[in-house]
Amino acid sequence: MRHLRAKLLVSVAVAVAALLILSARGWAHHGTAAFDTEQMVTVKGVITDFVYTNPHVQVYFECKNEKGESEKWQGELTAPNKLNRAGWTKHTLKPGDEVTVTGNRAKNGGRTLWIRKLVGPDGNSLQLFEE
Amino acid sequence: MVRSFVPQVAALAWASLLCAQAPAPAAPSAPARDLTGIWMVRNPSSMRAYAGATFTKEEPDLTPWALAKYKEAKNSNNGIYTLETTNDPVITKCYPPGVPRVYFHPYPFEFVSTPNYLLMLYEYDHTLRRIYTDGRALPRDPDPNWMGTSVGRWENDTTFVVESVGFNDKTWLDRLGHPHSTELRVTERFRRTDRDHLQIDFIIQDPKALQKPWTSTFFAELRPKWELGEISCSGDYLDFKTFEK
Repeated sequence: MRHLRAKLLVSVAVAVAALLILSARGWAHHGTAAFDTEQMVTVKGVITDFVYTNPHVQVYFECKNEKGESEKWQGELTAPNKLNRAGWTKHTLKPGDEVTVTGNRAKNGGRTLWIRKLVGPDGNSLQLFEE
Repeated sequence: MVRSFVPQVAALAWASLLCAQAPAPAAPSAPARDLTGIWMVRNPSSMRAYAGATFTKEEPDLTPWALAKYKEAKNSNNGIYTLETTNDPVITKCYPPGVPRVYFHPYPFEFVSTPNYLLMLYEYDHTLRRIYTDGRALPRDPDPNWMGTSVGRWENDTTFVVESVGFNDKTWLDRLGHPHSTELRVTERFRRTDRDHLQIDFIIQDPKALQKPWTSTFFAELRPKWELGEISCSGDYLDFKTFEK
């Protein structure tokens, strides 16, 4: 289980330029208001559930913080049909997969991310947007 | 004389060779009177600052009636209003987006041609418009609809003009909350500049809401390999409370 022990990395004010580029195309109808788009958070964890649903796909994962305590996280992707066009299926992630998830955290401090980058179990970054 | 002429010929030949290599491969020309296919709005980067939310960098010329309504709008684009606090009619109530608001949802749309009408299928929330091409006039006293009532005609082989009236006043013109009344009239001029590119000129008129017509141009690209899927407004949203510290 040692490999499940994951690091929680909080990187502040990262990639503002990248955000400006991404923000114009990624958002569906929710808008960005609930998320802190000034900060990116990276969490390495293990998938506990993957829900390929409208309007936005949900990723649930768990990690252990520096105290060794388990933390439950939730991440949100775009719509399933947009992910389909980027090569995803409902089987792309499954419980037990080790992932590294980077995104904007909820402003209220909840362990919730708008996912901007997701490195899958094979170590490759998954395409999050259609062309 | 002959010797001095040769280098010039060589230079011309070299120049013509360069010219032949320089242009990017052009997309084939647009087929005549045909918009069939799946299109995705892809505006140039110069429009990125506003085109995801509204039509122009400058504010439209609103009437006092519309200005008062606009001040009540709490849009979710500016980072202030969340899902819980916005009053965006699409986000809070899953109302149909209306025209021209439908172009602000980042999903493709499809033209399906039939003999008497053109169907416009917007992937976002299964939104459908029927554009009559049988020569009928717009109704003089239309019932109010979410997506209006539309007629279309070919202005030339590559330009299709759609006129729409008969809207209710429950939708916004854009994602910022610019309002409209039931007197809204929208003109969309779809110009297929080549096989793969579409220019959409909008003329938005509403004597109750706009002091003068609001005009803009968006751009779309053909996506021949895409299929429209399902994106529904309704669904489970993030429940932040569950994951609070």
